[in-house]
Amino acid sequence: MHTIRFSAILMILLGLLSSCEKVIDLKLNNSAPQTVIEGTVSNEAGGAKVSISLSKKFTDDSSFEGISGAQVTVEADGTIYNFDPTATGVYQNATLVGIPGHTYHLTVKLNDKTYTSTSTMPQIVKLDSIYVVDDELSTNKDKTKLRIAVVKYQDPANVQNYYRFIEYIDGRKEKSLFIDEDEFTNGQTVNSRLNFNNDNDDPAREIRTGKTLMVEMECIDAAVYKYLFSLNSGSTGNDNNAAPSNPTSNITGGVLGYFSAYPITRKTITVPAN
Amino acid sequence: MKKNGPLRFPNLIYPLMKLYQLLSIFFCITLILTFSSLRVFAQSPLDKTITIKLNNVPLKQALDKITAATGVRFTYNEAVAASNIKLTINAKAQSLKQVLEVALANYPYNYSQLDQDILIRYDATKLKKPDAEPAAKPAAAGKFTISGTITSKQSGETIIGASIRLVDGAQGTSTNGYGFYSITLQAGDHQLLVSAIGQKTLVVPVSLTHDQRLNITMEDNAQELQTVTITATQKGARDLKSPQMGVEKLNIKEINDVPVLLGEHDVMKTIQLFPGIKSAGEGSGGFYVRGGATDQNLLMLDEATVYNAYHLLGFFSTFNSDAIKNVSIYKGDMPAQYGGRLSSVIDVKMNDGNNQKFGVSGGVGVIAARLNVEGPIQKGKSSFLISARRTYADAFLKFSKDTVVKNSQLYFYDINAKANLVLGDKDRVYISGYLGKDVLTANNVNGINWGNTTATLRWNHIFNNRFFSNTSFIYSNYDYEIKVKQDVNTYKITSRIKDWNFKEDMQYDVGSDHSLSFGVNSVYHTIKPGEISASGNSGIISQTLETRYAWDNAAYVSDTWKVTDRFSLTYGTRLSAFSIIGPGTYYDVNADGAITNSTHYNSGQIVKTYVNLEPRAAAAFQLNDISSVKASYARNAQNLHLISNSTPGSPTDKWVASTNLIKPELADQFSVGYYRDLAEHKYEFTFETYYKKLQNQLDYRNDANIFTNQPIETQLLYGKGRTYGAEFLLRKKTGRLTGWVSYTLSKSERLIDGINNNQWYNARQDRTHDLAVVGIYKLNDKWTLSANFVFYTGDAVTYPSGKYQIDGATYYYYTNRNASRLPAYHRLDLGATKQLKKTKKYSSELNFSLYNAYGNRNAYRIFFRDNKTDPNKTEAVRTTLFTYVPSITYNFKF
Repeated sequence: MHTIRFSAILMILLGLLSSCEKVIDLKLNNSAPQTVIEGTVSNEAGGAKVSISLSKKFTDDSSFEGISGAQVTVEADGTIYNFDPTATGVYQNATLVGIPGHTYHLTVKLNDKTYTSTSTMPQIVKLDSIYVVDDELSTNKDKTKLRIAVVKYQDPANVQNYYRFIEYIDGRKEKSLFIDEDEFTNGQTVNSRLNFNNDNDDPAREIRTGKTLMVEMECIDAAVYKYLFSLNSGSTGNDNNAAPSNPTSNITGGVLGYFSAYPITRKTITVPAN
Repeated sequence: MKKNGPLRFPNLIYPLMKLYQLLSIFFCITLILTFSSLRVFAQSPLDKTITIKLNNVPLKQALDKITAATGVRFTYNEAVAASNIKLTINAKAQSLKQVLEVALANYPYNYSQLDQDILIRYDATKLKKPDAEPAAKPAAAGKFTISGTITSKQSGETIIGASIRLVDGAQGTSTNGYGFYSITLQAGDHQLLVSAIGQKTLVVPVSLTHDQRLNITMEDNAQELQTVTITATQKGARDLKSPQMGVEKLNIKEINDVPVLLGEHDVMKTIQLFPGIKSAGEGSGGFYVRGGATDQNLLMLDEATVYNAYHLLGFFSTFNSDAIKNVSIYKGDMPAQYGGRLSSVIDVKMNDGNNQKFGVSGGVGVIAARLNVEGPIQKGKSSFLISARRTYADAFLKFSKDTVVKNSQLYFYDINAKANLVLGDKDRVYISGYLGKDVLTANNVNGINWGNTTATLRWNHIFNNRFFSNTSFIYSNYDYEIKVKQDVNTYKITSRIKDWNFKEDMQYDVGSDHSLSFGVNSVYHTIKPGEISASGNSGIISQTLETRYAWDNAAYVSDTWKVTDRFSLTYGTRLSAFSIIGPGTYYDVNADGAITNSTHYNSGQIVKTYVNLEPRAAAAFQLNDISSVKASYARNAQNLHLISNSTPGSPTDKWVASTNLIKPELADQFSVGYYRDLAEHKYEFTFETYYKKLQNQLDYRNDANIFTNQPIETQLLYGKGRTYGAEFLLRKKTGRLTGWVSYTLSKSERLIDGINNNQWYNARQDRTHDLAVVGIYKLNDKWTLSANFVFYTGDAVTYPSGKYQIDGATYYYYTNRNASRLPAYHRLDLGATKQLKKTKKYSSELNFSLYNAYGNRNAYRIFFRDNKTDPNKTEAVRTTLFTYVPSITYNFKF
């Protein structure tokens, strides 16, 4: 988010020079389906969840295609927690509540293969407050000012911190990925914007007066940050990246996805009039 | 992006577009007719039949009578005109060839065809015959050197690359970048044929008994139909004898008729129509030479390095064609005097300024206006030139209803200035400078500006007839500044690369067989990778990345050796030593990109010196009068690297010097070529093939963060590359119709540890096929029509081969890097220039051009997204930049 939006400016100006977009039929090679594992442990009950799915062809519908029959466990401080399927491809443990500073070991056994990962839950950095500002450049589809959520928090000095934010508008989760780190803001009070591009002009994604805005803040570890960073820059297919590539997973064994243990704090406001 | 384009060129110009569609059909028909009527011009003047009876008529009168009878003109010098020989001819319906053969059989004169004229020249070899003309002097012993400067009579500009050779073509040379030549010949009488593009060919007689200074002035070829056909086409127009390969030399006059985007003539766009030089695509000013990356091209303006050669996101180059005299492009086989980049050298020379008379020229186009003022400071001795441009595309933005767009700025300007002073017969001093700036601002708050500044002070000194020296002091700077304002926060980011450069180049004509060039070069680089200052509540701490310093030294020596009449050899070497200098902290990085160790160096301490020996060798063997073969090898080292992660390239791409971890990039290029003149030198054909091996190539890691303040090495991977290809060029340089067809078949691959599972993959610039056809047709004195067509294989890109869900959002899965292709690119451009008024004092012309005449929707890029109405579906979206871009430009001169 601190990434200065230079490319956005470039895009606007290129847009001026007559850019014309058209959906085209493109023949793409299809790889064999790949296994995707997404595992989380949070400091709240119900936050321990592992989703296992298969990748699909580009032309298929995008829905989640869960894989059942996996054996999922997380080990922490000598205790092994078994994860039970709650839906196809979704495995959960209701009792595992993570503690900051502790390390969690994920093991997934699926079709004679074993995938493992480790994540240490960072210390809590609390989300101080959230508020809304007007964007200087963009508007909503109906030409009203685009409004953006801002998060405020105090970054601790002397330790590297990585954050992920999740924005909910009227309870609907925004699918854009918001991540941040303290490389340029170490030890500071940070006010950071949750910028995203409403690329399908969906009114439900717009922040409007009277809507309920909630933001969750996760403190994530370095490997997860690296994964999410490269996921965001390489795999969305929507930027000018010269050569997109798969993100660097922190799970061994050759799968897509990540495993993250994080503490969570959240704030909710009703969007005031602007 | 989609919401921000209420102002679109196609909408604005739709009515015009329709008109131009009709016009384009007209142009096509015209061109087809043109091609079919080509043959009319083919008859040789020597084939003309003649019936004539002459009895003891002096040579000159005899020739005049033949001209009167046949219309065939003769070219000869004063010595021929004053000759006292007398001809007797009795011909009945004989060919001119037969007539001349018989008439001149007993005299020391020879005839040969010079385009549509016939050249009569003195021929000493015939003297051995018993009844030779007694006027011939006995040959003096030994060899002597003639040297001097060739300039234009009209403007006093020195002429670069003019050819000076004996009329029989046995020996020759050409002027260097400062118009200086030196040639060593046997004592005795010679006739020198002096020719240059856009100038009338001269025959200069010399009687050589001692070393001689001979400054030559050439007359401009007026823009008349008749004379356009006579531009130099003597034997070996493309230097069949010179060992230099992989070179294109362009006079600015040659490119002015090629149609261009928005009417702005652009040398950088025109060179991309030659084989082996490929556009990096619309919206990018970059180009690829023989499979190399865009940063592997050295761009020099009057010897100063230009780091960012593009304006307006690559749509225009920084080289204002009004101020440019000459461009030379070396595709990897550069002479030893050049170094520092792997793929090519683009050597751009500015005009010196007219030292004969004061003049103003300029132009007004759709998006830019130009003005050029030049004139003598002291007539014949010194002159100045100032040339400036500014775009006003942003004026259109004001028409937008969108306030953000309305309050945006988008323009560039540049100024070229130069002065030169002749100090006596042996010295000349030049001062030249360039200043260019681009400004992009959105909604008055966010923006970027960037620009180059260069300054060059040069001193030419002629030690003696054989020894030429040029000393240069050069300053070069590139910087950018980004300003962002968001809410209460402001950010400013600046970055800069700055050079101080000293160069000494010498040329020494050792004798008729050897010509030496040698010199030294020393550059001090200062690179400020970035400085960020922030205010507000964002928490961003203002900081500066460590400045990097490097001292780049090189020395070279090269000899061109004429081994025999047919075989020449250039061999030499360049020795470069690149020293990284403290202060600064340098790091060790492990395989995962994590820092393992750091060392601090104090000011002036040498961190590391990379020494590279860069041998260069080239040989030419002339098969006969019209064809030759050449072979060449060159090694180049590169210590400045541009690290870019975006497709079109951006002004913020990082220039990085070699460090303890980033090794110099190396390229070894082997090439072989065949050259042939066709159809009485009207056409030239060139075939070159190359293989290039690249070492220490750089790329970003897959998960690289380009906005980090970590050492750049933590984000990089290293590997090697290979490129190979074959290039064909067929060019017609004379006649009403000129132009060329260029085709390249090539491959460019990389192998980088940690990318694509450590397998070879296509470089983005891998282009299997690349075709360009350029035609310029001089319809009459008023109209010149032109067209060019390009076709090339789409860039190698990485498309998804699947998709998956992470936390409820869709992401794409990739397999092999650059294994897919953008759709093939093709485009036709049309142009027409109408000469309006032409008097001695004032002339003006109108230039019309239509870019992408049949409106092909070429892919600028293809991206992937969720379907807007059904987010469960994904779709591929093609972005097109330009379809039908017409333009009108008015140019004037007085």
